Amino acid sequence: MILSLMVFLPIVAALAAYPITRKSEKAGNVLIIGVTLAVFAMALSLLAGSLSGAQIPGFCGSGLNFSCGSMQTVMALIAAFMWLMTALASPEYFDHARCNARYYMFYLWTLGALMGVFLAADLMTLFIFFEIMSFTSYVWVVQNETPEAIKASETYLFVAVIGGLTMLMGIFLLYASCGTLSFHELPELAAKMSDSRKLVIGICILVGFGAKAGMFPLHIWLPKAHPVAPAPASALLSGILTKSGIFGVVVLSFHVLDSFGHTWGNLLLVPAVITMVLGAVLAVFSTDLKRTLACSSMSQIGFILTGIAMACLLGEHGGIAAYGTMLHMLNHSLIKLTLFVAAGVVYFNVHSLNLNDVRGFGRDKPLLMVTFLMGACSIAGIPGFSGYISKTLIHESIVEYIHELAHHGANVLPYQVAEWLFLFSGGLTFAYMARLFYIIFIAKKPHHQHQKEGRYMGSLTALVLIVGGALMPILGLTAHSTMDKIAEFAVHFFHRHAMDHAVHYFAWINLKGAVISITVGIAVFALVGMMWLTKRKDGEEEYINVWPQKLDLDDYAYRPALKGLAFIGAVAARCVETLAAILVMGPVNLIFTGAEKEVIPPEDEEFSKYDTTSERSLVQRSFNYDLLCAMLGVAALMIFVIINL
Amino acid sequence: MQYLTLLSILFPCIMGAALFVWKPTDRIIRNRYSITVVLITSALVLGTAFCTWTYGGDSVAVTIARISKHLVFEFRPDNVATIFGCIIGVLWPVTTIYAFNYMEHEGNDNMFFGFFIITFGVVAGIAYSANFFTLYICYEFMTLVTLPLVMHSMDAKARSAGKKYVLYSMTGAALVFIALMYFVQYSDSLSFTYGGILDLARTAGHESELMLVFVLAFFGFGVKAAIFPFHRWLPAASVAPTPVTALLHAVAVVKSGAFAVMRLIYFGFGIGFLRGTWAQYVVLAAAAITVIFGSCMSLRMPHLKRRLAYSTVSNLAYILVAFAAMSPLGLLGGLLHMVFHAVIKITLFFCAGSILHNSHLEYVYEMEGMSKKQPITCAVFVVASLALMGIPPLGGFISKWTIATASAANLSWAGYLGAAALIVSAILTTLYMMSVVVRFYFPLKNAPALSDHCHEADARMTGPLVFLTVLMIVLSLASSGLYSWIGGMV
Repeated sequence: MILSLMVFLPIVAALAAYPITRKSEKAGNVLIIGVTLAVFAMALSLLAGSLSGAQIPGFCGSGLNFSCGSMQTVMALIAAFMWLMTALASPEYFDHARCNARYYMFYLWTLGALMGVFLAADLMTLFIFFEIMSFTSYVWVVQNETPEAIKASETYLFVAVIGGLTMLMGIFLLYASCGTLSFHELPELAAKMSDSRKLVIGICILVGFGAKAGMFPLHIWLPKAHPVAPAPASALLSGILTKSGIFGVVVLSFHVLDSFGHTWGNLLLVPAVITMVLGAVLAVFSTDLKRTLACSSMSQIGFILTGIAMACLLGEHGGIAAYGTMLHMLNHSLIKLTLFVAAGVVYFNVHSLNLNDVRGFGRDKPLLMVTFLMGACSIAGIPGFSGYISKTLIHESIVEYIHELAHHGANVLPYQVAEWLFLFSGGLTFAYMARLFYIIFIAKKPHHQHQKEGRYMGSLTALVLIVGGALMPILGLTAHSTMDKIAEFAVHFFHRHAMDHAVHYFAWINLKGAVISITVGIAVFALVGMMWLTKRKDGEEEYINVWPQKLDLDDYAYRPALKGLAFIGAVAARCVETLAAILVMGPVNLIFTGAEKEVIPPEDEEFSKYDTTSERSLVQRSFNYDLLCAMLGVAALMIFVIINL
Repeated sequence: MQYLTLLSILFPCIMGAALFVWKPTDRIIRNRYSITVVLITSALVLGTAFCTWTYGGDSVAVTIARISKHLVFEFRPDNVATIFGCIIGVLWPVTTIYAFNYMEHEGNDNMFFGFFIITFGVVAGIAYSANFFTLYICYEFMTLVTLPLVMHSMDAKARSAGKKYVLYSMTGAALVFIALMYFVQYSDSLSFTYGGILDLARTAGHESELMLVFVLAFFGFGVKAAIFPFHRWLPAASVAPTPVTALLHAVAVVKSGAFAVMRLIYFGFGIGFLRGTWAQYVVLAAAAITVIFGSCMSLRMPHLKRRLAYSTVSNLAYILVAFAAMSPLGLLGGLLHMVFHAVIKITLFFCAGSILHNSHLEYVYEMEGMSKKQPITCAVFVVASLALMGIPPLGGFISKWTIATASAANLSWAGYLGAAALIVSAILTTLYMMSVVVRFYFPLKNAPALSDHCHEADARMTGPLVFLTVLMIVLSLASSGLYSWIGGMV
């Protein structure tokens, strides 16, 4: 009951949110805060009770099935928390904005859909809500209705839809092979499938979830869509919506393909590492505050996917990787909440996100500075902050796998490279966060910087920043009693054993990775960030964009490919169609001879135009005559039938 | 009670024909007359369906003429027939109301409404026919009575479209006729029997011949269902007035084609005879190709009504894929999609008609920011688009899922092709529908503003639109009920 309520309360409330917000924005604000608070309370209550699950039989044919516990509860709780926080920050951000009634409606809708995704007990339910979520969050991206927003949302929609339907194909094959989609029964039945079938199913479903998560090469929408959305929506898109994709990958990897772990782990590791490095590189070169954060999200998703891949490779003993994955998901959500809300504060003061315009904005704003610093330190993996813990766990899992392989005398080089790239990406994370921090809080202000009058942020926004920022050192310093417990609770969903011994996070062996990363980071920050990407002129700094604009997979590969495919399809169809027309109309032209010009009206704007052709006719042509002939034919046939009986 | 069936077919034919003689000049009188006749017919059609459920098909069966042992002109509704009967029984009155407003400026109303009402009776005849002979006669008759509707405006375009329509239909009829002959040869009776009417003792040795005949007949009936390569008449026919395109070319005529194909497969040749043969693969592949082809063409059409027409081509092929899957699940999926597609597509066409009639816009690129001018129409369009794409929980999803499952359950290359075609087409459907929706709601900044003449339709147009949307949502939410209801009947 409570599970269904968590899903459907926001969906129903969304319908009310539109008219209410149209009438009074205050009432709308109260409504969304109230609803998100209620959902958060219900999510908390999941921790206490042992609910068995909920069913709504018959809905959409196969019925909806919900369950909770383990990772599902944790994810639902994180989502509810994120929504509550952004609901608190929204009233200020959307003050005087247009169309916020629309935004609020889709905001609540997406919450319901996301709850459906996290609380689903079978793949079908998950898919249904996943699709709904794609469409409702589309409106977030397009909310500002600027040309960039429209283009980005287009890309988002296409990627989401194509991914979603490829996934449907996979689900479909899975259903055809196993006869069930329930998480409970899948592991056992799916293990019986042949390896090639597992591979096909795995790739199909991975395309769908990977597209939402922002995995290479389906990441194209992410760096475009996240920056153009309103800041609270960006926080949710980056912080939690991408996690729905990750959640799907977890389901796929540990519930469907667990018996296929070795191959699957290797297969997943490649895009994971590429995503991790590419995202970080893009973030270093970005000159837009939110774009940097979005690219950073992509990179962190790569870290998480690496964790999943390692958990697959390590098999039953992958507990450490599963811990790391779960905790990095949690951390990344909280970090991105803080950072995007901070970016929102910058935006509604300065009305720009370009680093050249916002530089020095935070010089005299200690609260913003401290909370931003918390987020930055955490994501950069500074020891003592939450991000360090999860990154260390994932790093340890790679090291462990290398040891295991070395023990068996196998080739460890690919994994060694993966480890180096992991540390290198960690270094880049440090570099781009340090650069952002330097530009916003240390660099000198330009004279013309726009500044909102009055206080630079409201108390609710400040509260969100403080809560978000404070969580990071708290979690990071009390890792054994907080984060380990959360991971232990969630690891059951990964079908991995809990770790039997606690990791000594502050032992030198574990700190070493962080030290290497930070050293790399300082070097990159100094050499690339401060020297290459910064121009100094008359004491003024300018941050230049050296990333080639044209290097965009979307414009260069996907859009032309899509257009080309549609064109080829149409041309092919047209050719065969002409043949068919000859087949049907040809005999007519044979029978009727004699010249008469006739206008052939166009039937297809793309391929034909008005023209005249000479048609031959046997007798003076009239439609009635044609009809008469046709009817005579029918009559003759009828007589033939009757005589033959 | 058998007169119920007879009346539901004869009454509209007579009352429609009466309009040609009577020729009322007063619009209000004609409209009242038309809606009364249509409502009574609806009641008769639905009443027949109801009697069939309660008392069985035999209680309403009526034999009109018995020419020979095989050739019996008889109507005998069965469960499958009543589903089709319900679709037309509900949608015809709605379209009639819509047509009153739409046809105000088209002229020649007596002819239009006359044929429009007659078509109702003929389509009911197709639905309730008891054997292939009756089905064939009604089917031919339908071509003739809908022709004047297609050519209504009588300009070069409309006449060309009409000619195309007739030629394609006649070609199809000729192909079907061959099958009719073979049925006479190889079976004892032409009455529909689930499982097939072929006498297997007699067909022994002639299987491959019969397979060929089946394929020909499939394409013959498929012409009306716009199967590739016999689909060209359908987009051309979108020149007809919108009520005609909406009802006839999205519901009545094309669904009759699909319905006849269903009769041919399940009640004629029988799935036991066809399943797993090359004939099945050929028709399944043809339907799968049509699915993709229709969506591709639709994507390239800037003309809204023509885009919807090609989308119809694609969606009818979904139904044919389902029927060609040749399993009870396929039959269920096909019938489900018949119901959902009927409601969805008629709504979309009504929206297109509302824009055409009130804002005089035909091309998608002209409709930037339409939602400001016609909010109700656009909102309805969005819901119907989402349903057509198959976004859960709206109706299209469950039917497509059933069809894909049925198709893949064949475990043959053609079955997988069918399932894959459905998925690819779902992507294309999203592209061609969303590109319209996005233009309605998120216009490009440099798009020319819409003229002030654009305005929302009056209640006689928006009423049917809203009614259909509500119907669609109710059907979607009750989809599990519908699923088991139809599942119980087939």
